[in-house]
Amino acid sequence: MEKDILEHRLQINRRHFLSKLSLGLGSVALGSLLIPNLFNGIGTGSDEDFIPGIPNFAPKAKRVIYLFQDGAPSQLESFDYKPKLREMMGQELPPSVRGNQILTGMTAQQKSFPLIGSYYDFKQYGESKAWVSDLFPHIGKIADDICIIRSMNTDAINHDPALTFFQTGAQQGNRPSMGAWVSYGLGSENKNLPAFTVLLSKGKGNGQGVYSKLWSNGFLDSIHQGVQFSSSENPVLYLNDQDGIDKRDRRKMLDKLAELNEMSAKEFGDPEINAKIQQYEMAYRMQSAVPDIMDVSKEPDDIVKMYGPDCLVPGTYAANCLLARKLSENGVRFIQLYHQGWDQHSNLPKEMAGQAKDVDQASAALVTDLKQRGLLDETLVIWGGEFGRTNYSQGKLNVDNYGRDHHPRCFSAWMAGGGIKPGLVYGESDEFGYNIIKDPVHVHDFHATILNQLGIDHKKLTFKSQGRRYRLTDVAGNVVKGIIA
Amino acid sequence: MIKRDYQVLAENFLFFLNIFILFLLIFSSSLAIPQWLQPFGRLHPLLLHFPIVLLLMAILLELFRFNKKFINEPLYQNFTNWVWLIAAIFAAITVMMGLFLSNEPGYEGGTLQWHKWLGVGIAFNATAIYWFRNKHWYTIKIVRGSLGLLMALLIVGGDYGANLTHGENFVLAPVWHPEKKKVAIDKALVFNDLIEPIFQEKCTSCHNPNKSKGGLILVDEKSVLKGGKNGKFYAGGQPQLSLLLKRVHEPEQEKEHMPPTGKPQLTTQEMLLLYLWVKENAAFNKKVVDLPQNDSLRIIATNFLKPNDEKEIHFDFGAADEKVIKKLNNNYRTIYPIGQGLPALGVNIYNKKTYEPKVLEELLDLKKQIVTLDLNRMPVKDAELKTIAKFENLQTLILNFTDITGNTLKELAPLKHLNTLALSGVRLNSDGLAQIALLKSITKLTIWNTGLTDKDIASLKANNKNLAIITGYKDDGKPIKLNNPQIGNTNFIFADKVELQLKHPIKGVELRYTTDGTDPDSIKSAIFKPGTYINNNEFIKAKAFKAGWLSSDVVSFNFYKNAFTPDSIGYLAGPNDKYSGDGAKTLIDKDLGGTNFGNGKWIGSQKDLVIYMQFSSPKNLNTVTLNCMRNIGSQIFLPIGVEVWGGIDKNHLKLLSSIKTPIPLKDDPLLLKGMECKLNAGKTISYLKIIAKPIQKLPSWDPVKNQPGWVFVDEIFLN
Repeated sequence: MEKDILEHRLQINRRHFLSKLSLGLGSVALGSLLIPNLFNGIGTGSDEDFIPGIPNFAPKAKRVIYLFQDGAPSQLESFDYKPKLREMMGQELPPSVRGNQILTGMTAQQKSFPLIGSYYDFKQYGESKAWVSDLFPHIGKIADDICIIRSMNTDAINHDPALTFFQTGAQQGNRPSMGAWVSYGLGSENKNLPAFTVLLSKGKGNGQGVYSKLWSNGFLDSIHQGVQFSSSENPVLYLNDQDGIDKRDRRKMLDKLAELNEMSAKEFGDPEINAKIQQYEMAYRMQSAVPDIMDVSKEPDDIVKMYGPDCLVPGTYAANCLLARKLSENGVRFIQLYHQGWDQHSNLPKEMAGQAKDVDQASAALVTDLKQRGLLDETLVIWGGEFGRTNYSQGKLNVDNYGRDHHPRCFSAWMAGGGIKPGLVYGESDEFGYNIIKDPVHVHDFHATILNQLGIDHKKLTFKSQGRRYRLTDVAGNVVKGIIA
Repeated sequence: MIKRDYQVLAENFLFFLNIFILFLLIFSSSLAIPQWLQPFGRLHPLLLHFPIVLLLMAILLELFRFNKKFINEPLYQNFTNWVWLIAAIFAAITVMMGLFLSNEPGYEGGTLQWHKWLGVGIAFNATAIYWFRNKHWYTIKIVRGSLGLLMALLIVGGDYGANLTHGENFVLAPVWHPEKKKVAIDKALVFNDLIEPIFQEKCTSCHNPNKSKGGLILVDEKSVLKGGKNGKFYAGGQPQLSLLLKRVHEPEQEKEHMPPTGKPQLTTQEMLLLYLWVKENAAFNKKVVDLPQNDSLRIIATNFLKPNDEKEIHFDFGAADEKVIKKLNNNYRTIYPIGQGLPALGVNIYNKKTYEPKVLEELLDLKKQIVTLDLNRMPVKDAELKTIAKFENLQTLILNFTDITGNTLKELAPLKHLNTLALSGVRLNSDGLAQIALLKSITKLTIWNTGLTDKDIASLKANNKNLAIITGYKDDGKPIKLNNPQIGNTNFIFADKVELQLKHPIKGVELRYTTDGTDPDSIKSAIFKPGTYINNNEFIKAKAFKAGWLSSDVVSFNFYKNAFTPDSIGYLAGPNDKYSGDGAKTLIDKDLGGTNFGNGKWIGSQKDLVIYMQFSSPKNLNTVTLNCMRNIGSQIFLPIGVEVWGGIDKNHLKLLSSIKTPIPLKDDPLLLKGMECKLNAGKTISYLKIIAKPIQKLPSWDPVKNQPGWVFVDEIFLN
């Protein structure tokens, strides 16, 4: 920020000037030797190539709805069918399978690692014959509309770093969230709503926290920050006029305030001032746009049946799914849902059934609902947690009561719409569900693919902060071509 | 002269060679080259470099032969003569070898013929020049002509030769790629677009009609099916029996391995693709998209083919003026470029209240550029379709929940590029149906909630086979379960009376409740009406009913009456620091703790919890109720004993009540219970001392047996 102000004063900084000066034909020629495709029209990845607000190429998806299952749902009771684990129930996890995988403090002291198969049966659904557990019958029914990835993997083994990694591409938590990157990269579609919104819900299962750092703008302009819509009377805090102030007063006040802000913007050149002006203006327009969207009372009965009656209870996952559809329909680029309560270290069969009941019908309904409005083509829906769960039981093992610890090496997620191949099961784990044996998809690859669907080259989406350029995918990530339609 | 003798000898040899070449040319078809001569023929690609260099040298010398400086220079003249002679001999020998080689199997076709005749031309031309170069009519003009001809023959003939040895277009291949466009996956054929390109890149330099090594040609369906001299090229469906795969998978040092060592090898992906192609024995005109979604061949194909309409979407119109776009862009009309460097634009319109036909008309300045138009929920009328029809390059049009009737949809027929149309929520009748049938360019149609019947949809489908129709969710009529009644009350503790606030999110739901602990039913139980009051401690059970739905689960709520509130409260023996809430007043804040004992609303202790209360004026108390928790897993038991002491001040206390609870069992469920102490005092009280005792030695079945357990209280009621 300070640099921006400084630059405003000097118009140009020293390093910039010197680097411009030394660039002659010679360096271009040298460059073509070092970078063979310099003249092939393929960019070299400098941020000069990136124009915020316009996709690098024609996108498949215009919007994203990310149904984050916070706490990490077990892949073994959802989308990764492993009959072998039932056969081998109670037997030890072979050390050769575990390899050098580190364990969390919760099971590292455990002397035995008894394998445990899913308490719930699996069925094959649709033409794709995808295996889905009985906990998710509605998602099973849309198997031909979704792409199940069974080969997700991550670097982190504990909730907060893993969640932060999924949301920001780094584990440390000072970087912009994916939604903020998308807002920065593509801009807003509807100027009356924020480009990045956040909706929270909570299940009855053992939960982990979600914090506002997960939807932070990091070093990007604060206009890209995620706006949380809450389930209370005021879905967006501080949006309504104070008592005794009407719309006209507010307009006058904003005009005056904008004048003052523009004056100081001219004086200091701080881009945050302009961001602030825009935010005030958007908030003003949101005053009329938001109540319209949050009003679910006009939804017809068959929509209520489709999402499940809970969609009319504010603050539930089903209600958030319905809202996500409405926000998306109104051009919100990135809608981030979190459903807490998936951390089943113990009592897994019972807790997971409750969690699945919360999300199954509404997740499937969201996909169907977008599809029937012709919007699924341009909306990417993502469902998944921050890591998977172990194939062995944490704590004592009973057939109907067991727990699973954190497992970063292999887990499942699914995507739908937005140019992702429907009816596909991608990637494969070994028969223990512990290691990936085919087509691994790392978090960086996952990010690169999402950006690709939005028309963004993840190597070009950069922002310079504190002397270095940052990317959502850091210095890694490959677009997973195999799941692109 | 010795020199002279050699020359005559060489000249005779040259003459003989020329005659021999003529002979070979005339009788080529009836000649069989003996095997021992074959190695000689195969030296052709080696030897040909000598005549090329020698001829170039001769041409250069010949050019300056009549130069004044050299015309009388015997060495120059003699040397030039010798160079011509040797060059002509080498050219003739090379041609002869070439003719031998061309008789071997595997060399035929146009390229070879051209190379052969051009080569022969070079040899004859060189010989002729040598023979006639000392004639008196051999002037500089003729020199230039014949040299030019020779040069041309060398270049063109050499190039044909290179193509024969190294494959078509060998020289320019690294810099010039003739139209090697990737095909979009939805159009790709398995053979033409996956398999044939591999052959073209890695095989056809030796297996083409000009040079069919092993008698095998791999340029088209016919030749591939024909196979080579060793038999069929592949056996459909039987990869293990297929010659193709055998050759490909042979170790690289083996002679039979293909492609031969030194040539570009197949990649693993390519080998896999060939394997799957043979295995699946796909028909030659099979489309990639006709394969099942999870087919391996199809999945791998995606790496080779271009996704449907990827990056290089081509638009044949120019970009719009930035200023026009900027001017038309406003808060409720978003105009955005599809992608960097692309002229195409998308438009979203928002806000019903500000929408008017003008919003669309103004966009006609961009009528060429707009390819996507989203009018979701805008009050668009039929008349505006005429405006929309002027956006000539429109591809996607979203008209969900607009006010159009559908009866004028044919207005959109001039839109030749319109492929996606969304009409969900628009009421369509048979007229509208007929109109949609007129829109021939559409490939994707969304008609959820339009009132069209299955029959209508079938007729649309019959009319346009390429049309994908999305009909969406249909209520199957099966009743689903209602969700639970909700309670609007935030305070379940009242002094006098409280209004019961039951509610349900779904319209038309009947809420019934009981107060006697039985589950409500749909006939006898009281129907909830606003304005219902609760006057006493009440245990409410409620359930939701609606025709066409399954009734909800039963939910229950406790209401507690609390007639008196002490004027001060404090601990005599304090709780655990971690569970001390907001001080002792937490116990009378009328805020129940729920099931989470760690939320600050519960007061917990492992020692006797002793609380005092003071009243400024004496009160006539009948009961003291402690709301307690039992949570066995967390070592929280109901107090094993509760004692209530009272009097006019702290120095004059009497035991007014003492209750005991039995030790729970290991599997007792979570419980919230009001422990009611009846006071047999009958007189007024100004000071109360309440003692709640936790168990001091946990039972032996508990994991932390013999340690003290916990007691948790969230509220104390006085009546």
